[in-house]
Amino acid sequence: MSVVLGADIGGTFTDVVLSRADGSLHAVKQLSSPEAPERSVLDAVARALAESGVAASEVQRAVHGTTLATNAVIERKGARVAFLTTAGFGDLLRIGREARVEDERYDLHFRAPLPPLPRRQIFEVPERMSARGEVLRALEPDRVRGLCDAVAAIEPEAVAICLLHAYANPAHEDLLLELLSQRMPEVTLVASSRVHPEIREFDRATTTLFTAEVAPLMSRYLTRLARGLAELGIHAPLQIMDSSGGVMAAAAAAARAVATLESGGAAGVMAAARFARPYDFRRVISFDMGGTTAKAGVIHDGSPRIARELHVGGRGSFGGRRAGTGLPVKTATIDLAEVGAGGGSIAWLDPEGILRVGPQSAGSDPGPACYGLGGELPTVTDANLVLGYLDPLRFAGDTLKLDAAAAHAAIEEHVARPLGVDVQRAAWSIHDGVNAQMASAIHVVTVQRGLDPREHALIAFGGAGPMHAVGVATRFGIASLLAPPMAGVASAIGMQDTDLRAEHGRSVNLTEADLDTATLQPLFAEIEAAAREKMGLDSKGSPPKVERLLDARHEGQSHALSIPLTSLAAADLERVVADFRAAYRAAYGVISEGAVEFSACRVLLRVPVERPAFATLAPATGDVEPARRGKRQARFGPEPADAFETDIFSRGDLREGDRLPGPAVIDGTVETVVVPPGWQARVDEIGSILISRST
Amino acid sequence: MESADSRLDTEILRHALRVAAEEASIVVVKSAHSAMIVEGSDACAGILDRDARLVALSTATNLMHASSLRCTLPAVIEDHPLASMQPGDVFVTNDCFRGGIHANDLLIFRPVFEDAEVAWFTGTLIHVADLGGASAGGIAPSATDVFAEGLQLPPVRLVAGGEPVRDVERILTLNSRTPARVMGDVQALVAGANVAAARMQELSERYGPEALRAAVDRYIEGVERRMRDELARLEPGVYTGEYRIDDDGLELERSPVVRVKVTVGDGRKADGSVHLDFGETDDQALGAINAGFSQALTGAIYSLRCFVDPSIPMNEGCYRPVRVSFRKGSLLDPHPPAACGGRVVAVTAACEAVLEALSHAHPQHASAASSVIHPYTLAGLAGADPWLLLSYDYGGVGARMGSDGPSATGAFFLGGRNVVPQVEPLEARLPIVVESQRLLADSGGAGRWRGGLGLETRIRLLDDTQVAVRNERVRFAPRGRQGGSDGLAGDQYALSEAGSRKPIPAKTDNHRLSRGDVFVLATSGGGGLGDPTERPAEEVGADVVEGYVSPECAERDYGVALNSDRSDVDAEASRQRRASR
Repeated sequence: MSVVLGADIGGTFTDVVLSRADGSLHAVKQLSSPEAPERSVLDAVARALAESGVAASEVQRAVHGTTLATNAVIERKGARVAFLTTAGFGDLLRIGREARVEDERYDLHFRAPLPPLPRRQIFEVPERMSARGEVLRALEPDRVRGLCDAVAAIEPEAVAICLLHAYANPAHEDLLLELLSQRMPEVTLVASSRVHPEIREFDRATTTLFTAEVAPLMSRYLTRLARGLAELGIHAPLQIMDSSGGVMAAAAAAARAVATLESGGAAGVMAAARFARPYDFRRVISFDMGGTTAKAGVIHDGSPRIARELHVGGRGSFGGRRAGTGLPVKTATIDLAEVGAGGGSIAWLDPEGILRVGPQSAGSDPGPACYGLGGELPTVTDANLVLGYLDPLRFAGDTLKLDAAAAHAAIEEHVARPLGVDVQRAAWSIHDGVNAQMASAIHVVTVQRGLDPREHALIAFGGAGPMHAVGVATRFGIASLLAPPMAGVASAIGMQDTDLRAEHGRSVNLTEADLDTATLQPLFAEIEAAAREKMGLDSKGSPPKVERLLDARHEGQSHALSIPLTSLAAADLERVVADFRAAYRAAYGVISEGAVEFSACRVLLRVPVERPAFATLAPATGDVEPARRGKRQARFGPEPADAFETDIFSRGDLREGDRLPGPAVIDGTVETVVVPPGWQARVDEIGSILISRST
Repeated sequence: MESADSRLDTEILRHALRVAAEEASIVVVKSAHSAMIVEGSDACAGILDRDARLVALSTATNLMHASSLRCTLPAVIEDHPLASMQPGDVFVTNDCFRGGIHANDLLIFRPVFEDAEVAWFTGTLIHVADLGGASAGGIAPSATDVFAEGLQLPPVRLVAGGEPVRDVERILTLNSRTPARVMGDVQALVAGANVAAARMQELSERYGPEALRAAVDRYIEGVERRMRDELARLEPGVYTGEYRIDDDGLELERSPVVRVKVTVGDGRKADGSVHLDFGETDDQALGAINAGFSQALTGAIYSLRCFVDPSIPMNEGCYRPVRVSFRKGSLLDPHPPAACGGRVVAVTAACEAVLEALSHAHPQHASAASSVIHPYTLAGLAGADPWLLLSYDYGGVGARMGSDGPSATGAFFLGGRNVVPQVEPLEARLPIVVESQRLLADSGGAGRWRGGLGLETRIRLLDDTQVAVRNERVRFAPRGRQGGSDGLAGDQYALSEAGSRKPIPAKTDNHRLSRGDVFVLATSGGGGLGDPTERPAEEVGADVVEGYVSPECAERDYGVALNSDRSDVDAEASRQRRASR
């Protein structure tokens, strides 16, 4: 039987899900191993196989979401890179293009960001292309040899090459690749004309630089991972999740490492979209809360918004997505906002005695106090245990037994006693405090974009999401919530639901007269070939769906609209200008007149995956007793009166149509769903739990 | 106390107003045609009400135009009473004596109707491609009156009831050296105003006209209250500041001064009000460095806002607690028909003066002077296909108490460097090759806190080219303070193909260069703050390693010696050198 494996690495847990063709799922949570990320994946896979009885040979496809690139870029721990650019432009990265936005515009003390590379790692190449790709100054191999020696002298792990107008003519970058690979065959070489052959040198340079910083790490990591999977007997194709909601073959991932920067978040949004699909929610907030971070995204009419760039270190009220802030990386990315807080966030008192939660996280090592792994500081998870939401004996897929006394003691020592309140009260404040931070991520993607969160349904997942969802929703007056089945590992499920996808574009300079099949056919063929390489497609397997786009604009404009091409046949090409004018009118509300020009050709490839339906539950009998696991004291507010004897249910024993009034706690294997008083839960056909206000 | 729900409504609505302005500015940039706008610069867009109060302003980057929409709308309403306006009307004007800026900065207004009455206006503003005048692209440095700066437009209809007014379009077209581009830019401005108008209509329908109006009133009152609370925290007193301008490019013997007297509260007690009195500023100039009152107001309000909570949104409430006085006939608020295109010169001097005055009250915010914007125009008008680039670059920001000045970026309201076009798209559309772009070592004024570095750009011209430059801080370099050195003054010249140097005056237009010449623009470095010998030797050493300071300058200005391979500080030699000073 065919089985799909999904593996998602988070800051605290690594999640592995096996999906069988009959729709049944098996999930495993394993503490992450940041020093050797593949270890937790391999351990979790081995466990999942053993527990589920699935044979390694049954795994037909393995999809992986990794934070390797993210950590390398954010923490500036990527490979040591030499950066080569055209003579005269060695200061390109140092001059930068930093915007001052919003509040910063009034800040007399604003600081320029540090240049992404020290000067001694930057080299100028004696060469020059024109914008049309003509050689203005030839690159002489003899002069380059000395340069190669100088580059070798700093012992780089990777070399990033970004020459002016290389998108128009890559010959000089190609020659450098050749000469450098002879000189230093073991070093990773990355050329801008391969990574992002589009106009605008700064954006191309930073994209190339980050690719070079991450590629060697990604390559080594995936080699180790593939070897480990093979040792477990899994020889299925390994695919890597990207930031746009697609996957690529592992073989392509090193060269496209920057495309994975937001892969975890993208997988979560894909999961939310999938679980929301059976409902008629037109607007959905995806809310993913794990151990160390939480992410929020918005899905309207089934599609998340995808941007063509992200900003590393970006700032501003749009969740760090203000153009010009941070360093641009040109890669398709699902629009989401992230806050550095989650179940592992540590609660502490600041010098003024105010309770704060995060940004420090206990992570997986030492972990929250209740893990009993050496952590002594109180975390959100400790608070949730004290509040009665978590079952100490069943946590995170039975990865751990929780130590309630340790949680109690940590909160007492570090929060309750200094504040002069009881431990329950302190635990509630920690829980509520992190809810406020969760709300700020949702605020960014809704309120700050002028969207009303009350018109949205909240899809809550991640290990901690369904425990905090109602508290977060209440802050906005959101009335409908959904906790998907296996919500604690939803991202690992979401990545199984994604198509193989790749996009490649190239800047061109075409007029209406150039729009003929003979001109466009070879051009698109080349771009499609590059897209196939990006996707890691070989000639085997099902052929991809090819979508071709032409970026069109009025002569003299800079920003273009991407116009889809039905085909490259003459009749379809004749329609392009009219399509552009209609799109222009729709976008800008003015009539499009005058000559049209074309600035880029793009190819979007997609190989749809088979989506197994989820297994369905047996229908309700009207009796929820079989699912009841007893009662526990749980606290839902600041006052002692907010404590209730609360029904505890086992999620696995619920049936379609079961209704549970709050207060209730529903224990899943990998997450806990909390239904406070005044709310009710209903179970749907596939086991999603719909939470709404009691009527 | 408002309920949680109504607080949320209020917040969503306020963001929606800002997003509407923001969206309009993005639409303008995306659909504009002139190279400067599309490749970098941002557009200003705002929502105003029928009383011409500013409700919300786009928050992208640049604040150079912050006050102009607000100051100009009353002129539109004066000439076209509200009752005469029709749905689908769009107005345009550029009169710098009625709130405008200069000929090329077109201001567009679109009324938004509720129940057949004008309730709101949306406004957009960018520097459009050429609109006549002595210099291609506008801002003619040689202009001695507004008529030499380009076509003057009183408030007139550009679109009437949804139909373009072709007569006005024909006037614009005939007065432009680049007619297609200028009309493209005008269309972009209209598109932006349309998008914001549609958003306002949606909000009005969603919340109801009355509730929307009440919410906007509360928004403006809330901002005013926050502004007053903040101003009440300033140190009460009377402070003065001044800044000297190089010259106006015509009367080179006259270096006019902008002066300000800042009175916080009544001078003894803070009360939430501030008076900025620029009355002692020198008389208006013959050359085009004067600033119309809306631009002068932008500079004044901007500098004051640097001393209050930066998160206060920009709307009418910001203006109410502040009294700003200009003397009619001075550099700030000149008599017609004074030339105003190069108004950034006067406005940035006003900013420096206010910062100096307030740094007496708040020494922790002391700063040295900064470079300003260095605009230049390259134009080839002889061929069949005339081309034009109006661009600019930035120099070093002055050092501030506690931090070095950033390099090659906009100071004050000019925003960050992201608004300067990248090289490749410029070369793709214009007959130029940018040969190099380098930070200028040693251009930042030495000090405990170092000034930011200037930038040198070399552009090879592939066509016979008319050059215009409007450089400032090239005679008097940005001033250092408290023992810090001045930055390095800016410069502009050309190199012939043979390599000989051809000087170019600092403020000039229609300067002819030949195909093959290289145009060189060096922006000034920011001033330093504090005694350079108090800068820790390792910070000086790091500057040397990064190439921001030369080893010679490290020894001469900072008293820091480097080891033999110049990779690190020679601590002992530096200690002795500094001790012997």
